[in-house]
Amino acid sequence: MPIYLYLDRETFLHRLNPSVKVFALFVMFWSVYWVDQPLALVPLGVLLVAAAEFTDSWPNFWRLRWLFALVILFTTLAWMVFYRRGPAVANLGIIHLSHASLLFGFGRGLKLAELLATSVLFLSVTKVEELTEGLTKLGVPYRAGFAIMLAFRLAPLFIDSAVTVAQAQRLRGYQFDRGGPLERIRRYVPVMIPVFMGALRKANNMAVALETRGFGRNARPTSLAEYPTRWPDVAACVVLAGLAAGYFLIYYAGYGAIAAN
Amino acid sequence: MKVERAAGPNVEAPTTGAPAFIETHGLSFTYHQSARPALSGISFAQRQGEMVGVMGASGAGKSTFAKCLNRIIPELEDGVFEGTIHLDGRSLEGVSVAELAGTVAMVFQDFEAQLFCTTVAQEVAFALEQMAMEREQMKKRVAQAIEAVGLRGFERRDPTSLSGGEKQRLAIAAVLALNPSLVLLDEPTTDLDPEGKVQVFELIARLRTSGHNLIVIEHEAEELRRCDRLLLIDDGKVAADAAPAQLLAEVELLERCGVHAPGLNRVLNGLGIRAHAQNVDHAEDMIRNRFAHRLPVAAPTPLSTELESCDPLPIDTRRVDGSPSGPLAEVRSASFAYPEGPPVVSSVDLEIREGEFVALVGQNGSGKTTLAKLIVGLLRPTAGVVAIAGKDIGRADAAGVARQVGYVFQNPDHQIFADSVEDEVAFGPRNLGLAPGEVKRRSETVLEAVGLTAQRASDPFLLSKGERQRLAVASVLAMQPRLLILDEPTTGLDYREQRRMMHLVVELNRSGIAILMITHTPWLVTEYAHRVVLMRAGRKLFDGGVRAFVSGDAMLARSSFRVPEVTQLARRFGAISLSAEEFVRWLKTQV
Repeated sequence: MPIYLYLDRETFLHRLNPSVKVFALFVMFWSVYWVDQPLALVPLGVLLVAAAEFTDSWPNFWRLRWLFALVILFTTLAWMVFYRRGPAVANLGIIHLSHASLLFGFGRGLKLAELLATSVLFLSVTKVEELTEGLTKLGVPYRAGFAIMLAFRLAPLFIDSAVTVAQAQRLRGYQFDRGGPLERIRRYVPVMIPVFMGALRKANNMAVALETRGFGRNARPTSLAEYPTRWPDVAACVVLAGLAAGYFLIYYAGYGAIAAN
Repeated sequence: MKVERAAGPNVEAPTTGAPAFIETHGLSFTYHQSARPALSGISFAQRQGEMVGVMGASGAGKSTFAKCLNRIIPELEDGVFEGTIHLDGRSLEGVSVAELAGTVAMVFQDFEAQLFCTTVAQEVAFALEQMAMEREQMKKRVAQAIEAVGLRGFERRDPTSLSGGEKQRLAIAAVLALNPSLVLLDEPTTDLDPEGKVQVFELIARLRTSGHNLIVIEHEAEELRRCDRLLLIDDGKVAADAAPAQLLAEVELLERCGVHAPGLNRVLNGLGIRAHAQNVDHAEDMIRNRFAHRLPVAAPTPLSTELESCDPLPIDTRRVDGSPSGPLAEVRSASFAYPEGPPVVSSVDLEIREGEFVALVGQNGSGKTTLAKLIVGLLRPTAGVVAIAGKDIGRADAAGVARQVGYVFQNPDHQIFADSVEDEVAFGPRNLGLAPGEVKRRSETVLEAVGLTAQRASDPFLLSKGERQRLAVASVLAMQPRLLILDEPTTGLDYREQRRMMHLVVELNRSGIAILMITHTPWLVTEYAHRVVLMRAGRKLFDGGVRAFVSGDAMLARSSFRVPEVTQLARRFGAISLSAEEFVRWLKTQV
């Protein structure tokens, strides 16, 4: 089973310059940030669905379908506890079920899901080397960009390792699902320690391997891959800039907010 | 013949009279917070174009020596460093690891830690990018390096999708691209299956032919026969420095230093012939010359050529329990596939009975670990049934299975987390809800069994790899399983530690625990197991006794299993011997 999200395809989005992809990530986050109203988030959702279809990224979204469902459901419910505006439609204990709280909670859930979908889409069409290239071109120091790239590359390996460690402890009769929420978190200590120790060991080995391959010898390394800027990159930047401006205007005009009553 | 020598760069070069390419004088290193030096006064010289093999037990100082040569020590490791290193007449003092990257390249045992890019081509180019090389030149170098290791056509592949052997060849390509003057290979095949090992050693042989300076660190002496010289390190000092023909014949010296002497030489040594055999033909010639016409001239007589339908019950004289009992583990037409993936295990039938010692072999990806995980209930079969002691495992809870079947993972660090050895062992019994007195009694018993009683209060993370492996076994044994599954229990251990681990496993088996051992190491199969199950592409290719297994030529030709040379030699004389000692005993009865 693949542990990374990148899907090797030949689509327009895959071929975009890495700096444009990083810019697109920023613009999507920016646009989502300014609005709370679910209706205002719909165009972004449509855009993401179209991009997922266009890049054939559905396998990644399917793998994470439960995460998307849980994010929307729990965020909606959580905000209905704290956002207590508007007349309650029904008495559900700590949950304040009103038109405003439902709209606000669902909007927050949708925002998080769209941020998640943007990230999934970004990682589906971007190699980690392109991420370093994109960040470096946007002024991030090479070492920092490389560190971010390594984090993306290693995170799935650590998750894989955690699954193995959990299996090993379960086979020693350990039960993770005993007790209340805090106890359940505490019960993951026998997983976290081996994973953490393994991560330290791997990081140390990797640091040595990087040094022996000349990492850091030049402040500005060259690149095997070529990332030319073509007219589609320019066109994409113009569209993205328009999108960013448009969402700021929606916010500025007050259309992105939810009325309290 | 004495091969031990006083260390010095002017030691007689066994192969050529070429000038020294790399020289060390009085190389010593003591790790931070360690009382004992890891290296003590190593003086060594390597001639241009030589391939030097470095042998020694775990902790002898082999890797420390290699790390000194590319300045990882003292640049990246804390400790006290003494001595000098000259490369092509130039002192390396003050040179950084990164500066030396294009000159002295190192391939590490852990190939996973060396690969971080998303394509094979990017991986090879990484070091060249760091050198700020022009793109066109870089493309040529990348293509040459990929060609050199036989990975042409893999340029766009994700390194994580490669097999172990391919990954290690990629790691070698990544350093070859730099055109280094010296390539250090630190146990490059430890984690590989037999096929991966063959790939890497064939590549090393090609590099030697093309004139590269090579230093290969390896546990298995058999693999170092092609070297020009061998360096034996023991307790941080040079125990011997000689040509393979001289040093590999010194069986007692090698084993005293924790090195697995070549099986053929152990046979010769047992027959009083102190010589080194280059291969099976050579050993056969030497034995026939010594004993002339007193030996049988019998051609090898395979017991069978097609063994798929062989009786799964072992017919081995070393079977320890007398009476066969009902099956402890039963796998009935079991198949498994991950969602939307191809089948990993297909229609496998298997029975494991009380007291059996079964070796589960097959190349990486053949379905061995998946089958073991089905037996222990970590995976549920997509078709068929798995039962433990007659009970469908699908209806049992994890704790119930843990009482019957223990599983020791390949990497002991996947389960160790406690503050002390004793707590680590007590973790399982406590999870079973046993009384404190019983937990203590079991802990003491298993610690005694694995020889870790003295370290009971020690931090598990400070133990050696061999000790951690034994601790992992102990922590599973404390659950008192009836079947113990061991996934590659000797990976990363030196010969002494491997023998010690296997001695422990045999003792457990004799006490009545059934063993299912996944392994890539042929001599462990022939010397210890009663029965072999061979997997290939998710299917069971063979299930039967070890002697039938090693004589099944047609079936072996379809697998990646390499029959130990001793067994191949024995068959030249019409015998099926599973160890050097057994063959020597048999041969002595014939002459």
